[in-house]
Formats: sequence, C-alpha cells, structure tokens
Amino acid sequence: MAEMTYLQAISDGLRTEMRRDKRVFVIGEDVGVYGGAFKVTLGFQEEFGAWRVIDAPLSETAIVAGCTGAAIMGMRPVAEMQFADFISCAWDHLVTVAAKQRYRAGTPVPIVVRLPSGGGFSGGPFHSQNPESSFAHIPGLKVVCPATPEDAKGLLITAIEDPNPVLYFEHKHLYRRIKADVPEERYTVPLGKARVHREGDHITVVTWGAMVYTADDAAKQLEADGISVEILDLRTIIPWDKQAVLESAKKTSKVLVLHEDNRTGGFGGEIAATIGEEAFEHLDGPIKRIAAPDSPVPFSPPLEKAFIPQVEDVAAGLRELAEY
Amino acid sequence: MATTEAVDVVMPQMGVSVSEGTITKWLKQEGETIEADESLLEISTDKVDTEVPSPASGVVTQILVQEGETVEVGTKLAVIGGEAGAPVPEPEAAPEPATAEAAAEAEAASSAESPAPQPAPAPEPAPTPAPAAQPSNGGQDGKSFVSPVVARIAAEHGVDVSSVPGTGRGGRVTKKDILDFVESGAQAAPAEAPAQAPAPEPAPAPAPEPAPAEVPAAATPKPAAPPPAPEPAMAGAGERLEPMNAMRRGIAEHMRRSLDTAAHVTSAIEVDMSRVVAIREKLKPEFQKQYGVNPTYLIFVARAVVETLKRYPWINGEIRGEQIVTRPYVNLGFAVELTDGKGLIVPVVKNAEGLNLLGMAQAVTGIAERARNKKLTPDEVQGGTFTITNPGGYGTFHGTPIISQPQAAILGTYALVKRPWVVQDSFGKDVIAIRPIMNITLTYDHRLVDGALAGRFLKDLKEALETWDEVSY
Amino acid sequence: MAIAREAEPVGSLSEVREAGLDREDLLTVYRNMLVTRGIEERGHILYKQGKIPGSFYTGRGNEGSSVGVATAMSGEDVGTPLHRDMGVHVTLGVEPWRIFAQYMGRVDGPTRGRDGNVHMADSKLGLIAMVSHLPAMLPVAVGCALAFRIREEKRVAVAWFGEGASARGDAHEGMNFAGVRRLPVVFICDNNQWAYSTPTHLEYACETLADRAQAYGFDGVVVDGTDVLAVYRETKRAIEKAREGGGPTLIESMTLRMEGHAVHDDAFYVPKEMFEEWAKRDPIERFRTWLRDNADLTDEEEEQIGASVKKVLSDAINRADESPLPDPSTLTEGVFATPEDLDTPHHK
Repeated sequence: MAEMTYLQAISDGLRTEMRRDKRVFVIGEDVGVYGGAFKVTLGFQEEFGAWRVIDAPLSETAIVAGCTGAAIMGMRPVAEMQFADFISCAWDHLVTVAAKQRYRAGTPVPIVVRLPSGGGFSGGPFHSQNPESSFAHIPGLKVVCPATPEDAKGLLITAIEDPNPVLYFEHKHLYRRIKADVPEERYTVPLGKARVHREGDHITVVTWGAMVYTADDAAKQLEADGISVEILDLRTIIPWDKQAVLESAKKTSKVLVLHEDNRTGGFGGEIAATIGEEAFEHLDGPIKRIAAPDSPVPFSPPLEKAFIPQVEDVAAGLRELAEY
Repeated sequence: MATTEAVDVVMPQMGVSVSEGTITKWLKQEGETIEADESLLEISTDKVDTEVPSPASGVVTQILVQEGETVEVGTKLAVIGGEAGAPVPEPEAAPEPATAEAAAEAEAASSAESPAPQPAPAPEPAPTPAPAAQPSNGGQDGKSFVSPVVARIAAEHGVDVSSVPGTGRGGRVTKKDILDFVESGAQAAPAEAPAQAPAPEPAPAPAPEPAPAEVPAAATPKPAAPPPAPEPAMAGAGERLEPMNAMRRGIAEHMRRSLDTAAHVTSAIEVDMSRVVAIREKLKPEFQKQYGVNPTYLIFVARAVVETLKRYPWINGEIRGEQIVTRPYVNLGFAVELTDGKGLIVPVVKNAEGLNLLGMAQAVTGIAERARNKKLTPDEVQGGTFTITNPGGYGTFHGTPIISQPQAAILGTYALVKRPWVVQDSFGKDVIAIRPIMNITLTYDHRLVDGALAGRFLKDLKEALETWDEVSY
Repeated sequence: MAIAREAEPVGSLSEVREAGLDREDLLTVYRNMLVTRGIEERGHILYKQGKIPGSFYTGRGNEGSSVGVATAMSGEDVGTPLHRDMGVHVTLGVEPWRIFAQYMGRVDGPTRGRDGNVHMADSKLGLIAMVSHLPAMLPVAVGCALAFRIREEKRVAVAWFGEGASARGDAHEGMNFAGVRRLPVVFICDNNQWAYSTPTHLEYACETLADRAQAYGFDGVVVDGTDVLAVYRETKRAIEKAREGGGPTLIESMTLRMEGHAVHDDAFYVPKEMFEEWAKRDPIERFRTWLRDNADLTDEEEEQIGASVKKVLSDAINRADESPLPDPSTLTEGVFATPEDLDTPHHK
C-alpha cells in the first residue's frame, strides 16, 4: 500500500500497464516532453521513449481515430484529451467509427480516451464540462468515472484491458485534493459495479465523480440529525450497476440522484426513470435529482458556485426528501 | 429457361427516401414472353426515371397496375410465369376484429339482463375488518396520499392506512410509520395450518341478540373510544394498559357499525354429515396426492352454500340506500384468524359459483396460504358478497356471528360432533344411530331477509349436504 | 500552377515487368476489373428488381484505379477502401457471393446484415470497413500506420478518400499527422470530379489535390485513373517508399464518375460531353486494347475469361440468394466486444 493522490494513482495505473504490455502507448497533446498538461505522464517519455509517449499535433480527430486504427492493428492506445471538453472535436469519430465497428463489422476497437473533466476552479465553459451523458447515449461506448484513488488506478487498468472503446473521465478537482492508500501492485476494478461509499438506511444518494465527496459532506450533516444517508458511487456510467441501485432504492425507499453535469439530459434522468419503472412500489417519496442548471459552465466564482451543486444544496435536498 | 412458378414483379425503391413510383410505360403486354433482366416496364420516381428489368424469363401472365398509376414501393406490378390468368391471391381479409368485441358484447348483454348493475364487484363503501389501503386521489391533504411502498405494505398486512398515525409531510403515513405499526400490532402469519383451512376463529366478538349485551369479554376494561381520537385512559390500581392497534380498532369500529346497521337474527339447523364424511374419506387421498389440497368439511359446506345461494339471491344480496342489490356471482369470504388472537382477516374467493369441489378446495387453500404469508392482494380482501366463519374449531356447537357489512348474512359452522341420532331402519322404524352432526347457523339482516327465507335456505343447505351429489358438486 | 508530378502512362510489357507484373498477373488484373464491373452491373439490376434494399452505389469508371492500387498492395498491408473501390475487395480476394449477400442484407454478408452496400470488409484480407462520414477512415488508416511505425514493421496502410471528402477536417488532420511523423501510409484520392452534384471547383481551390501533399511535407502525384497500369506503377512506388521509411505519398487518381452518385441519381448535372469523352477512356476497354496490342491477348483468352466471369457471377448471385435474412432477435447482440473478439486477424 502507498498513499497516493488521485492523480498519482492514475499515473501509477498507466505506468504499470505500459511496463507490463508493450502494446500500450500514450498519445495526446503535450504528453511527452511536457509530461501532460496535468503532469499525469511526467517522466513517461524518458522511461518509454518517444514512440510510446507521442506528442500529437493539435488534432483530436487524428489522435482518437489514430488510436482506433492502431488498436485495430493490435495496439492498446491510451489517448489523452487535454481537457474533456475537447472530446467534442473527436465526437464524430467516436460515435461513427469507434462505437460501431464491433457491431457492424465484427472488429473490436480497444481504445481508452482519458478525459480530465469537471469544474470548480474558474475554468470557464470550455475547461470544466462533464460530458459523460452524450456518450452514454451511444451504444458501443463504455464510460467510466472513478472517484477514489484506488478506483482510479484499478478502473484505468480494467479500461485498458477492455476490448471496447472506454471513455475515462478523471475529475480534475480530485487530482490533488484526494489522497488515499492504494495497493502498489497491479489490480483491476470491474467495470459496471457500483461501490457503497457510505452505508445508510433512510435515503440513497446515487452519484459519481467529485460529487461523491460533496454527498459525503452533506450526509455527515444529516447524520447529526439522525438521518442516515447511503451513498452509492456508481463508478461506471455505461454499463451502470442497475442492480445495486435498485437494491439500495428498495432498502431506503427514498432516492436522490446527484451529478455535476447539467440537469436536462444528464445521466441522472436515466437512473431516475429506471428506478421509477422497476422499483415503483418501493418508493416512499419522489425520486429527486440535484444537478447543475441548464447553462454552460460560468467563469466568475459566484456564478460557478451557484452552478456546481454545493454541500448545502445537497444537504437541503436530502432534508427535504427525509421530511417527505 | 422460363419459370413455371409465378414470379412477382414489384415496384423498386429507387433511393432511400423514395416511397412510390409511377408506371410510365409497359414494354410488354400480358401474354408476351420476356427474358430475365430484359426491360419490362418504365417507371418514374421523385429521384429518377428508369427501366425495371424482369426478374425471370417466361410469359407475362398478369399485369396488375396500369400505365399512369402511382403505387407504393413494394407493390406487386405484374406476374411472370405461373398459370395464365390465375387469380392473384387476394391479400387475406383482415381477421374479424369482431370476435373479441362480439364476445365482450355478448357478455355485456348477458350481464345487462341480470339485475346486477355491473360485472365488477362493487367496491365496498366501508372498510371490511381487514381492508387493504385505498390509494387516494392524491394531493388533497398529506394524510390522504399513500405512497407506493406504504400501499404495498398495507396490503400485505391488511392494515387500514387511515388509522396509522403519520409523521410525514402533511401528516402522511411514511414507510417507517407503517412498518412501526405492523411491528407493534398485527404481526406474523395468521393461522396454524389446520385440517380446516382457514383457521378457526371466534368471529366477531360474542355480541348476543339486540338485548343488552354482557360486557364484551375484552381484556381492556375501558370502553373503546371511537377509533380516530382515543382519549387518554387512566389505569386503576393493579390495572395494565395497552394500546389498541390499527387492526383491533378497525374490527371494533366495524362490529359496532354492523350491529347498528343490520337487524341481526340467527337461525340454526343441525346437519347429518355422514354422507359428507364418507365422501371425504374417499376423496381425501386423491385430492392430497394429485392436487396437494385437503378437502376439509368447511370446503364441503362452502360448496353447498354457494350452490344453494343461487336460489336465494337476497341472502347473497345487499341493501344499498333504498334498493336491494343482487348479483349472479358469489364472492365468498372466509374469516381467518391471525395468530395470537390479534385480529382477523377475511380473504375473498371471487366467483366461487364457478368452482366445483376441487376448485373450491384449491381456491380456499391458496387464499389461506396467502393470508398466512401476508401475500394477499388488496383485491383479495374486498368485494365479498357472503361470508362463512368457522368458530367450531374450538369445539363450540353454536354461535351468533356478526354480519360483515355491507353483506346481508353470514354463515357459521361449528364442531362436528358424534351424537346419538334417531334414524329409520330398513323397516321404517325409529332406531338410534351414531351420526356426525354439525350445527350450522345463518345470521341474517332481518331488514332484507325474513325468518322464513332463512329457514328455507338452511333447509336446502342441509339437504344438499345430507344428499351430497358427487356428480354435480 | 500545379506542383505535383504527373504520372507517365505505361508503355510496354517489359516496362510492366519492371514494375513487377508478368503476363499472367495482367490477365488476372483484367479479370478482376471485369468481375468488379460485373458485380456492380448485376447488383444494379437486382436493385431495380427490388432485391437489394436501401441505396446502391457503383464505382463505374473507377475499376482501373481500384484494381490498380490493390494489385500493388502486399499481403501484409492494410487499407480502408471506399464505395467506388469495389475493385479493391475483388482484387484482394473477397468472394463475389459474399458481396451480393452483403448488398441483400443477408446473414452471410460480411456485416451479417448490420450495414449495407459497400460498408464491409474482410479483416483477414487487411481491410477495414468504411463508414458514411467521409473521410472518417483516413485518420484511422493513419493510426494503422502509426502502429506499424511503433512496432517497426515493414507494413503499409493505404487510405482512400474522394475529392469531395478532401474538404473535411479529417483529411487535413490525418495527412498532417502522417506527414509530421513520416508514417508508412499512402493516400489515394479518388478524384472522379463530382461529389454528388458538386463539381471540383466548388470543393477545392487549388489546381490539383495532389498539390496539397507539399503542404503536409510529402510528395503528391496525379495519375490517369483510367490507366490501370499507370495507377499500379505509381502505387507500387509509393508503397515501397513508405515501406522503406520514406513517409507518405498522395496519389490523385483522375477518373469520371460514370453513373450518378447512387443508382437513384441520374446525374443530369454532368454535361453530356463529359460522359462522352470519358466513355472513350473506359478503363476496361482501354486495358483490353492494351493487352491486345502489347500482350497478345487472344480471342480465346478473352472469351474464356468472359465466360468464366459470367459463371462466377451467376453462381454468386444464386448462392447469395440462399443466404437467410438476419433474425430480429439477434438485433442487440454484439454491441460490445468480448475479450474473445480480440482474436481477429487484425489484432494479431
């Protein structure tokens, strides 16, 4: 075990795989000499060489599509988008080619695209988004959102192993703020399995990414008032652990879905609708959603604070649900 | 090589968005021969004008669409080969939608003839002793909204939600509230698995005729307050207090109301059950082995009751306002005691008139099991038209049950006791025999049912049991 | 003023031998062109008979270019051909009956009915199935070349795109990246002068697309796409150059699209004179003449090849027609790959 930050855990996972498997290589903007905009690949080019840590031109499509071509030829590429927001430049390739190649042509595309996502530091509209839901909607893509250092390393390794295109959203806000003990050896965390971050009896919070910690702080407040909140960290968005969510919903009968992404069309809607369909008779209150409002991510601090769900917002929502 | 089988020529789809085409010119006429891939006709579409090559060699046996006509993509235009002039099979006439509707109409017609107003059992206006929670037309006051999980728990436990105190918003009953009540109150599985399914139970409290009643043998010394607002009662020295749970309060309310509503009269008759005993001996092994059900005496009685009720609709009826309600079906309720005497529930076998002895045995066994496992649906505890209760499990030979509102009567069965009985020998002379005798009571609402009617009913019932017709029963 | 080189036509049989083909090979090339055209002509008829759903595209007039390029590929090379390049599939060995099954949406088509017309590929032959968004496959081919470069393998990727698709960003990003990293990829621009109804002067402003190669740091060459041997020779040069680490080449192959964008388009916008002029340069007729003049192609050989092609095609259609339509209950199978799926020829 070693104490690592969330960012170090990601580096560690990537490094472990690159040492173990020659087919794994990294490609992205500024990942080589510079070590990556967030320094996830610091020292990698020195260790693995310039043809395994490739400084790409400013060409998201060429990067991601290049990964697809290389993967079809047997490599295991890991692309880094400098900010998750830039994935929109390669959206066409991902949904047109990568997502559909297995289904229609029997050709798997084992690529990983790492996506530094999320806000909270005045990044503005183009450096702060959480675009997981648009990809969740496309059959053929897998989407992963780790919240803890341990999950970050294990899920990255599993993503690299997975024969499908995996979008790996690493929340920037957690990079250096979250530290925990992480096993030093190689291990995997399965895709599609949620993790109980906190056990409780009265209300279930279903969430992922940085919001796990926001929910946790809110739950602590409610605990003082005798309300016991269970927090389920989904960890994987596609495929999501429906069974765990329904079990928890049946246990507590009250559910709050929380995500940092915009509310309308956010993945929380899918979760809420499924609970409504499949656990209707177990509900003791409406399924609540707390999410960012429907606007681009604003820049100025008071605006951003009003945009990203805060601990007080979540606590208030939980209280309302508890009192229903 | 000409085709002998008929080959269709269809309007092609010339482009993804094209949905129809027009025949501009037939290049061959009926009766002419054509080679495969040779152009047969010219068409025009939104996108392009083109020729259509023949799919086969042979004789153009039929041309189905004429020049100038516009048809949808996929429409058959012509036939190559096959029998000249063979009628093209018509697309099958759409199956008569009437069948299902006709059946429904017939049903509606027949039920229209019966005096009953509608086929569905009328929802009971008042809660039965163990009613299911009614989902409310939400939003009026917090108290009336029942959430899905609360509704489900209420149904499973036979709890009347309106008598559960609510701590939720607006006084709503929350999941915790109802679980707490179920915990403290009407718990656990009703009934031991008796030879007589459903468990024996002293039905409603031993309230005698309208004469001043003795103090009901309730454990609680204080008078029961009306359910909604219990007044804090004081215990005297040496006395113990315990709260009435929801079910108990429900029962108390119902019993009082029933006595206040109906004019209760009970008539009794003694039935020689020898024939039933003999038949039961014979059928019991078969029923148990093949069907897993035990044909108890209660089931025999129930079968005979349902058969007899067909001739006594008022006894299966109801007073509603100024009208008398009768119906062609019997929804037969069976009083089931919950364990520890904490209350009772009355599951209902719907349409019992359609069941023979085996069917009755299966239905009753099933409903008793569901009552035990708290798996009764709300539908199974409502809509009864007649009730049977069986206090005889404890050996009592007579009783005066209270009618389950809004029904008109309730039948009580009692212990089967071997008695010395006067019978005729083969010479017609009186002799004493030992016979298994069961006392059966009918408690009826004298507003609707007179003594004579009740007497005739019991007489017919007795006859049915004593001359049990194996074939038609 | 054009920068790119123009390819010379191929003269004699001995020149051809220098370029790596002997007489037998040439007859095979001829046959491949006939099969290609035959498949598309038969398919066209089937489409009008309602036996092929959706839409139907042909590469009529491009047989020389597609067969020429494919003939220059080795068994180790990979490619991403497009909808005018049926000749590539035929030349590399895809069985015609499977192509018809693909057109008809049957289970034995390479995509088992999940995609239509030429959106298919046999991965054992080194081909990757195209998509509709063009030129989305171009940067994918560049990615294949990237893998070869990382692993230091002597393999080459061939990336096709049309002159219309050259206007999209994927073309730029792909070629730029390939040039920057000197990747072993050959870019083939099928310039058939019409992108649906849009003529070349509304797609690009430079004189030839091959000129753009210089902007990406490599060479471009324009070749007469109706001259199968010229195409072959240029492609062979470019492939060998890439194989030896010389980086990419952009080959612009000039033809005319002899039919509409798809069969439902009658191409009224193409001036009749263009059709007449390019009809005289029909690649098959042109090569047949060359074979008669330079390789002593005999009547018997011609007849034999013709008959054999005809038989292959009708057998293929019959066999394809026996293939069943896909079972709807299998609709959602295979959206995601399993680890076992990685055992495809590409991934080895």
